[in-house]
Amino acid sequence: MLNDFRYRTRALLKHKQVEDELDQELRFHFDQQVAKYMRSGMKEDDAKRAARIAFGGHEQVKEDCREARGTSFIELTLDDAKYALRQLWANPTFSLVLIATLALSIGANSAIFSVIDGVLLKRLPYAQPERLVRLFLSSSAFPKFPLNPWDFLDFRARNRSFESMAAFTRSDMQLSGEGEPVRLNGFAVTSGYFRVLGLHPQIGREFDFQAEIPGNGQQVVISDRLWRTRFGADPNILGRKVTLNMLPFTIVGVMPAGTEHPGNVYHALAYGESVDVWWPFTFRGNSNQRASHFMEGIARLKPGVSTEQARGDMNAIMAQVAHEHHNGGWSVLVIPLYSEVVGSTRRMLLVLFGAVGIVLLIACANAANLLLARASARQREIAVRLAMGAPRLRVLRQLLTESLVISITGGALGLILAYGGVRALVSLLPADFPRAHDIHVSAPVLAFTFVVSLLTGILFGMAPALQASRTDPKQGLQQGSRGATASRHQNRLRSALVVAEVSLACVLLIGAGLMLRTFLNLLHLDPGFREDHVLTATLSLPHARYKSDDQTIHFYDRLVTTLNQLPGVETAGAGSDLPWTGYDENDGGFTIEGKKPPAHEDFHARYHMATPGYFSAMGIPVLEGRSFTEADKKGAPSALIINQAMAKKYWPGEDVIGKRVSFADNPKKDDDWMTVVGIVGDVKDEPNSASAEPAFWWSDYEVSESDMVIAIRTKSDPRQVADSLRSTVHQIDPELAVADVKLMDAVAGASLSTPRFTFVLVGMFAALAILLAGIGAYGVIAYTVTQRTSEFGLRVALGAQRKDLLRMVLAQAARLAISGTVLGLVLALSLGRVVQTLIYGVSAADPLVFVSVVLLVPAVALLAAWIPARRAARSDPMQALRTE
Amino acid sequence: MTGSIELPQGTLDLILLRALLSGPQHGWAISERVQQVSSEVLSIQQGSLYPALHRLERRGWIKAEWGISDNNRRAKYYELTRAGRQQLDRETEAWRKLAIAVEQVLEGA
Repeated sequence: MLNDFRYRTRALLKHKQVEDELDQELRFHFDQQVAKYMRSGMKEDDAKRAARIAFGGHEQVKEDCREARGTSFIELTLDDAKYALRQLWANPTFSLVLIATLALSIGANSAIFSVIDGVLLKRLPYAQPERLVRLFLSSSAFPKFPLNPWDFLDFRARNRSFESMAAFTRSDMQLSGEGEPVRLNGFAVTSGYFRVLGLHPQIGREFDFQAEIPGNGQQVVISDRLWRTRFGADPNILGRKVTLNMLPFTIVGVMPAGTEHPGNVYHALAYGESVDVWWPFTFRGNSNQRASHFMEGIARLKPGVSTEQARGDMNAIMAQVAHEHHNGGWSVLVIPLYSEVVGSTRRMLLVLFGAVGIVLLIACANAANLLLARASARQREIAVRLAMGAPRLRVLRQLLTESLVISITGGALGLILAYGGVRALVSLLPADFPRAHDIHVSAPVLAFTFVVSLLTGILFGMAPALQASRTDPKQGLQQGSRGATASRHQNRLRSALVVAEVSLACVLLIGAGLMLRTFLNLLHLDPGFREDHVLTATLSLPHARYKSDDQTIHFYDRLVTTLNQLPGVETAGAGSDLPWTGYDENDGGFTIEGKKPPAHEDFHARYHMATPGYFSAMGIPVLEGRSFTEADKKGAPSALIINQAMAKKYWPGEDVIGKRVSFADNPKKDDDWMTVVGIVGDVKDEPNSASAEPAFWWSDYEVSESDMVIAIRTKSDPRQVADSLRSTVHQIDPELAVADVKLMDAVAGASLSTPRFTFVLVGMFAALAILLAGIGAYGVIAYTVTQRTSEFGLRVALGAQRKDLLRMVLAQAARLAISGTVLGLVLALSLGRVVQTLIYGVSAADPLVFVSVVLLVPAVALLAAWIPARRAARSDPMQALRTE
Repeated sequence: MTGSIELPQGTLDLILLRALLSGPQHGWAISERVQQVSSEVLSIQQGSLYPALHRLERRGWIKAEWGISDNNRRAKYYELTRAGRQQLDRETEAWRKLAIAVEQVLEGA
């Protein structure tokens, strides 16, 4: 055993010496044999021949000896790899094209896989994340709706499916006291929120049930980041008082670094470590009033309980609750946390992965093609090796090693590209993309790249290697430089590869075309507002200081009035939300005078608020009636503004101005009614929403809302008023934080980032694909032209016109291109369903896209064939005859 | 070389080990010797001689050293090791048993 190991180690480490010794040993034997034959009277030449015959294939014997050493696998691979590198070095252009195309396509695959790994494959950073679910309500009007706090309490008390449950709601906090006040991303959470996630504070504790009782809620758990940046990582932080929303809060815990937000739907905050403070949600008010829905539910399933079982349990409880509190019409959605987090992006990522996979397939076909061409050039070399006694398997192995060296070099370079690519990808990602911070070139990505490189090498190397190792040594040697006869089969294979490349490139081009049209459609869509020259910001008035509605109303009134007087400002206004930011506060169950809601349904619409200047600042047109005015204040007859969608839905074909709506439970007196005074244009929830939802606006002068967005339309660059906005706010209240100061075109642009992202990537892949297909077509045509040099020469000698030769070659290219394109169109049509959800305003079988591809692809193929075709046309009859 | 027969599978090791019992030899001499001693009946395929020697060396039954041949050339000499002698004994005995058994079967039939 030990001897065996020592022997193999020596064979490996002193490889060259061992090989030399083998050589000497065999030569010694040979010479002895020759001497013996000569002693028996043979002439030297005859003796040598006889000895050679007696000995058998020299290479074969060596090979068997290496085998006997037990290290042949490693030795051979090293040998083959060295040989392969010499071969690559000898043909630099060939190698460069091959390795570069592989590096690009493997790199692109690794980059996209990094995204898939980070977003779809990596486990969520919670204990046993597969047991975590999100809870929502659902009704016929609202397919996915937040919970009501009192319903949640009943769910928590009565369910038998969950180990623990929690509810949370976005509730930012303003930290003041030292320096500039800052707005912190915060959530109000029920007790046990972190226990549900399986997270524990690094210092202190999370909230107990006492904290849910009004009066006990002024405690806070802070993030590791806030602890380090704002409190110098003070280990004695527990018990420290901080001023949040102008109220004293006690710090009771610090979460560790890596505490990631599980995501939320209403007033969504990015995934990752985006939350700074958590504070207790306190249950106030009347538990019989269950119309207000704003809590997000999360729960941990008991071991062995399935999502379906939990859904059944929850819906049974919901039915009881509905019976007790007369709030029917709701069912409970139980959605696994993973699906909730990645759900929306999964399809897009898989489509991208498919696209980039196609690029790799094309690169493989391309590489196979180039290797096939070279294999025929190397026929002689291989024939010689076979004639020297090298076994076929050995030649096959040698050739496969060559393609593996190529693919692994390509993979290594690709990995470098992927490092840069991933960084670029992440910066291109939409801002609300889940788990973007989890995207890295990680260990799984390295493994993926390695495996893909190996598979790629085998895939593109197999056909050429098999082909070459089948070379008949006699024929290969006789054939001389022309090598034309054996390759009919090979030509067919190579043409088939080009057709495959072209068809796959077509699929990608069509995909890219559809994405481009989607993007352009969204870009040129009339958004319903004008995003240019608008500065926006958000403000949140702490209840501690702004206790009454009047105080809030007074603040916004004063702020907007002052802003309107600033130089450069056209109009300024405030409202509950900005277009295209995912806002979907709804109100249902209101009364429309003289109308009855359909059975089992409420009247419902999006609920917003606005000051007089809001619509003109946002550029939302008033189509009928008027906007709010200073006169629409508390006490005046209540005015309501609705959008066109609401007018069409509830008063089809009627004159809506002057119609009345009531939000009171049981409207009797005139004061209970609000009058529609204006109709504004529709704005969709998101640019790619199917249609605008019905919506109405209350005058901000009537009902107060502490969290508002400010919109300022300016005459010139809106950035110039940012400072004046801050100073104006601080003149009124120096302790208020002005948050999210942004240009409206950036806000609107962000909502286009998903289609832009898909389009840019698919477009890049398509460009790479058509480039590769072009190289493939060029390779095949150029090769056949070389093969047919003498034929062309003869034709010229026999009187063929040069343009006939040009036409002949181009026709060959056209045949390949047309077959590929037809195949590609069929493929693309059958794949249309896959991209259906990713496109907007364009059919998956869009004629414009298909026609463009039909024109473009053959054009590229002809362009690629042009250079070899010209060479064919210039064929010199004399030279052709000489090569004969 | 008419009349010579191919070695039965598995006997090559035995024959090589036996050929080295009388002292170190190089490959060519081993093959010559086997042929002579077996009255030209057994001939070792030269293609299989060296792989077999290398395999025996790896197992530790023979060891190799470079020496000078009769005609003053560098040659690789193989020599039995102690483990090799034991292996030879084992294989010889196994072979004898086999030969006797086969002989008995042939006689008895």
